[in-house]
Amino acid sequence: MLVFIGTVPVKNLPLTFGFCKFEKGKLTVEGCELPIINGTGAALAAAYVTCETLNLPSPYAVIAGDTGLGDGSLQIYKFLESSFTPPSSNIVIAMHYLKPNIFHFRESLKALKKHDPILVADAGSMYVAKAAGTAKNFDLFTPDPGEMAFLADPEAVHPAYVRRYIFELVEEVPRLIRQAYEFSNASRVLLVKGVVDYIAKNGEIIETVKEPCIPALEVIGGTGDTLTGTVSALISCGYEVVEAAIKAAKINRLMGMLHGPSPATKVWEMIPLIKDAIKMLEIKGGR
Amino acid sequence: MHENNVEKGLIILSNVRETIKAEEALKRAGFSVKTVAPPPEIRVGCDLAIEFNIIDRLGVEQALSRIGVKPLDIIPLRDPKLKPLEIFKETQFGEYLMVKAGHMKLTFHLKSGEIVNISGGGCPDVPYLALNLVGKRLGKVEAPGRLGCTLCAYMLDKAYKRALELFNEGK
Repeated sequence: MLVFIGTVPVKNLPLTFGFCKFEKGKLTVEGCELPIINGTGAALAAAYVTCETLNLPSPYAVIAGDTGLGDGSLQIYKFLESSFTPPSSNIVIAMHYLKPNIFHFRESLKALKKHDPILVADAGSMYVAKAAGTAKNFDLFTPDPGEMAFLADPEAVHPAYVRRYIFELVEEVPRLIRQAYEFSNASRVLLVKGVVDYIAKNGEIIETVKEPCIPALEVIGGTGDTLTGTVSALISCGYEVVEAAIKAAKINRLMGMLHGPSPATKVWEMIPLIKDAIKMLEIKGGR
Repeated sequence: MHENNVEKGLIILSNVRETIKAEEALKRAGFSVKTVAPPPEIRVGCDLAIEFNIIDRLGVEQALSRIGVKPLDIIPLRDPKLKPLEIFKETQFGEYLMVKAGHMKLTFHLKSGEIVNISGGGCPDVPYLALNLVGKRLGKVEAPGRLGCTLCAYMLDKAYKRALELFNEGK
């Protein structure tokens, strides 16, 4: 089962947890409707569509409202530290938009590891996992090339502070991957999303996914989040992390191809097409 | 005030939004300031400090007081090695222009100035900023630096300002 953890841009939404629903374009958790835009909302909706298509239980969400002040993130951290009980055994935990707080992240991670989960991190959770020196505890990170530069820089505590930044220089990514592993700042598997998607394991690039190439996807906020949602759902289906990463990279690109987006397309318009992409790739559930 | 060899100090504030506000006010008041990473022992992972010439401390405190900002601390500079990125890239997609500032991206319609998408980043205010900015026009909406609180918002503010500059140039 997939447990998805992250903040949502809903002011004053208290800590909320339960199975999510995505029906008729509306994403809800415990009756609360969430905006499907960049971040946890897009990832949850994508995870839901993937789980539904593969006949898996809906993702279980742990969310709280946070508009950047860190209040919702703190509620989530404290819940994870002291009260979180997983809804089942054999869980995949995906940690997403959280305001970085090294102390609380370490404590939360310590508590979560007692449930022996497969751990995925992206966005703020990935930033703080690296800054806290805990990257090696994770099975998968899903950075873009800029975030890869951050993981590769042993001193950087946030992507805004990277010493040597790159802008989508595809040929630089393998070096950054090696460097991140060298400094123990990478998860066991990396899915680097970009013009070329790189899938690496323990320092070695296993696979690249380049087609179909849909340039507008880079512009559309939330398309990295749909990738994180999809890969997490595939792992919860029983696919090994590398295999799930390769399949998810293909699904995300196909989702874009099927829609034919412009730079003004919104991510919520494309998410239902994940179902068609999964069927085109003949991915099966119930593993 | 602008010499490189003067002793520096750091202003520590409670959050990034306050830091952005303070930086703007201090620059307007004529102080030589820049944002830097706080020292590791007080860093929580997503925060900023303001570096200034320590000789200006009194004036800086007064300027901050005038805008209602009370620093958590003002300390002599140790060695904040890193500062936020100052790197931009623009890519045109037909009628649209994507402006990247570090890891943050803002895309707008070249003729109307409508912000059509925001992407990149991972702090909780990124989705909040997207909700508030997408569909609005450059120059007709509150800038990310005033709405957001984190380093992602700080970088998006740079992208927004650059986009606004390019939009105004192209009018």
